[in-house]
Amino acid sequence: MDLTRMRRWAEHEEVDAVVIGTGAGGAPILARLAAAGRSVVALEAGPNWDPADHTPDEIQANELYWTGERLSGGGTPEAFGGNNSGTGVGGSTLHWGAFCPRPRADDFKTASTEGVGADWPLTLDELLPYLLEVEDFIGVSGPADYPWEPGRSYAMPPVARNAPADFMAAGCEALGIRATDGPAAMLSRDRQQPHWGLRPAANNSGSIHQGERTGAKATMDTTYLPFAVGHGAEIRAEAMVHGLERDSTGRITAVVYRQHGVDHRQRTKAVFLCGGGVESPRLLLNLDLANSSDQVGRNYLAHPAAQVWGRFDEPTMMWRGYPSSLITEDFWRSSDDSYASGYLIQSLGVMPVTLATSMARGGMWGERLMDRLEHYDHFAGIGINGECLPSDQNRLTLSDEVDEVGLRRARIDFTFGENEEKITDHGVDVMRRIWEAAGAKDVFVLPRNAHTEGTLRMGDDAGENVVDRDCRSFDVPNLWVCDNSVFPTSMIANPATTIMALALRTADVFLGRPLPA
Amino acid sequence: MSEPIPAAPVVVLLHALGLSSRSWDGVVDALGDPFDCVAIDLPGYGDAAGSDRLTVEQSALVVAERLRALQPDRWLIAGHSMGGKVAAVVTAWAEAGEQGLIAPDGLVLVDASPPSPEPMSEQRRAGMEDWAEDGPVSPAQAERFVDQNAPHALPALRETAVADVQRAAPTAWLQWLERGSLEDWTDAVGVLRTPAVIVASDPGGDLGPAAQRRLTLPHVPGATVQEVDGAGHFVVLEQPQAVADAIAGLWQRVSGPRALPAAFARLIASDRVSAKTRAVMLARLDGPGDAPRALDDAQRDLLTALLARIIPQRGTDLDLAGRIDSQLAAGNDDGWRFGDLPPDVQAWRAGLDTVAAVAPGLADLPAEEQDAWITRFSDGEAGSDEPGLLDGRRMGLWFEDVRGEGVRVWLSHPAAQAWIRYDGFADGGDGERKQGYLRTRAGEREPWQRDWRTGAAR
Repeated sequence: MDLTRMRRWAEHEEVDAVVIGTGAGGAPILARLAAAGRSVVALEAGPNWDPADHTPDEIQANELYWTGERLSGGGTPEAFGGNNSGTGVGGSTLHWGAFCPRPRADDFKTASTEGVGADWPLTLDELLPYLLEVEDFIGVSGPADYPWEPGRSYAMPPVARNAPADFMAAGCEALGIRATDGPAAMLSRDRQQPHWGLRPAANNSGSIHQGERTGAKATMDTTYLPFAVGHGAEIRAEAMVHGLERDSTGRITAVVYRQHGVDHRQRTKAVFLCGGGVESPRLLLNLDLANSSDQVGRNYLAHPAAQVWGRFDEPTMMWRGYPSSLITEDFWRSSDDSYASGYLIQSLGVMPVTLATSMARGGMWGERLMDRLEHYDHFAGIGINGECLPSDQNRLTLSDEVDEVGLRRARIDFTFGENEEKITDHGVDVMRRIWEAAGAKDVFVLPRNAHTEGTLRMGDDAGENVVDRDCRSFDVPNLWVCDNSVFPTSMIANPATTIMALALRTADVFLGRPLPA
Repeated sequence: MSEPIPAAPVVVLLHALGLSSRSWDGVVDALGDPFDCVAIDLPGYGDAAGSDRLTVEQSALVVAERLRALQPDRWLIAGHSMGGKVAAVVTAWAEAGEQGLIAPDGLVLVDASPPSPEPMSEQRRAGMEDWAEDGPVSPAQAERFVDQNAPHALPALRETAVADVQRAAPTAWLQWLERGSLEDWTDAVGVLRTPAVIVASDPGGDLGPAAQRRLTLPHVPGATVQEVDGAGHFVVLEQPQAVADAIAGLWQRVSGPRALPAAFARLIASDRVSAKTRAVMLARLDGPGDAPRALDDAQRDLLTALLARIIPQRGTDLDLAGRIDSQLAAGNDDGWRFGDLPPDVQAWRAGLDTVAAVAPGLADLPAEEQDAWITRFSDGEAGSDEPGLLDGRRMGLWFEDVRGEGVRVWLSHPAAQAWIRYDGFADGGDGERKQGYLRTRAGEREPWQRDWRTGAAR
């Protein structure tokens, strides 16, 4: 994005806030505070891009991913990098899937309604106004009638369905499962975005996970960040934070970061840590900060995200069209208590290197692998995004290896619990049936998990949580955390718009504004 | 089924200063039917004497336009003297998929003016400039020019050459002598990957064998240098058969399957693909070469054997082990690793050493037995507790990395993408609006989409 004319602060000037990270958490905060006239500087570890710089090439697109090495362990170790972690101005939204289901009220209280997991300290009612504001600001397209919520309607019509969506619709109809176009932060109409300019309607490119080149997909660098810069915020790219200086009372006074090999120190009155479910806890653990509860790094969460694939008679060419254009929420809660909470199903188009790598990692090789890849252009997939409940065994810790700035690397141990296994089994069974009803041949399953959440849990009890209901640290009064690390449960809905909503709410708390009831 | 090999490649022929397409008549006759010869009048010469597109770049653009109109699936380009410099520029563009061109199958440089400033004595240059200072080259000077450069020219070719020199535009003549021949195109041409032959007349002149080895060969390091004994600089007028033999011999050598199917290469070169995407895709046509390595010879050979079973390539024959090795040496990182494995280079060395220790001679076993070992390793059922080696559980994790990396490196190659009929990289070029796709549903196709494996309609 264009940063040439932005306002700049000197390091010795004490700004109102430094925001660490420019993804779904940091960007809306930056925008809100700047619009309120606060002096704010964002520090982003990755580079600044123009959307036109992106490429559909899956290998080159590694430049969008967080490729500082992470160590992955446990019974269901998670793949990082391209799977879930971004870098660059805009953070992971540069490569996100833009799938925007909304959480439901029950999702915030699995403990009190189902006796599992944890309740959020917030309710849907408290977040919904912010969710709606986010959807309106970034532009979410979707169906005029949403089957699972009477009255919910998306003003902008859905983007075109692709082949996997059509097959999923057919399979669901045959089985009596409701399905519709998925809500997506993809424009189906040209639109003027404040402080950015024209964002065109989607051109049906399927390579949005490699960076969307037109602006049709909402990313932070085409929405909240230009708005923030337009209101006087400063963004410093390639600035990796590795220290927080504090005074004798424990308040943070400055943020230390390395940019182009040189350490800098920005004075500030407050810090918003928005580095995501791995980098945020990693920084706090390295600095031994905000951890009187001993909860930093605990309750790591990743969505069960199994996929079912099949071959169809007609060419699907699933690199065309928005990749996840159909959704069903029929399994958001179990009809027979076969699992707690639940999952959604989405149709899937996946680029070839990504899919082939998943297949090979999943155990396929030799002629069997090549026989399948020979029919890649006839493939279509469906996948779940399911609830992940907090567990003691899932934890981010520090390894003994250190990175380029001297921070110890993260090790994440993750093992599906009983409920994640149940959700996966149930989802795979349903998806197999949908695919068979749709006419798929040679059906196969790819077990997966996705997203990085938890590790800096929000809650009302300072002894069991890292931040309070307003995302403020219990231990460090001017430290706020706002990203997916504060999630007490993963929730079924993909996390990005919830993070953005939390960010706007957190900014309003910081600004002392009245909050929605 | 792969792309059919056409019997008749297009041969683009670019002439020397003062001459025209007709200077190739003898070569064209000698080449005969299997070749579809397209001799071009460069701007300012022959029938194009009226053109004002006289710079080296504009001349190359004219050739590119002609090629775009012809759309040859298989083609060679030959350049004589001045035309050699233009041919090198066109080849460099085509290798990079620029100007909508696909890479030629071969390049023939005949007493070529090199991409660097051409060595020519100032006295001779000034003398030749004088000839055209006041208008077209006179009949007497034209005869002298042709006879000096081709003392043994075949009579018919001499006659047309003398006539062509007289009808050359004086501005074109001066443009080459004062500007074009002195322009430095060495960086723009770079090192070409196209198979090439250098034809050098011996004794020749300023552009004879010694100059070709010094100035042209660095741009086509794999080229053979064929010296034509007793020939002058205008060798095409004297010994057309020798030049034709060089062209035909090169085609004989390169007429096997192309690195990329032509239709697919043309798609990469099209305006549906961004310059950045095109560059990263075509860069992968180069193998690991002598890039730094992380594995020793035994480890690399063993990895080659394992990958032949794990990723039995279709449509390609890539050195996957070499590519992975050079990536390991370069420290390319995908952002994570199994926490129970050591860092990548150590893990790959240890994994391969473990295979060698636990399954000695694996590469020489029958395929089924190799596969049985791969299954055992993948399932975590074979490993070693010796120091520096990986136990069974870790071998299971490392084999997952081998499968994943192997298929990732294979499928990132454009030829593999053509084989799976993928065109998702062609979702829009560098225009204000990216083209994307209009059709997204099963069975529907865009008019431009092909079965990229064969180039046939979908």
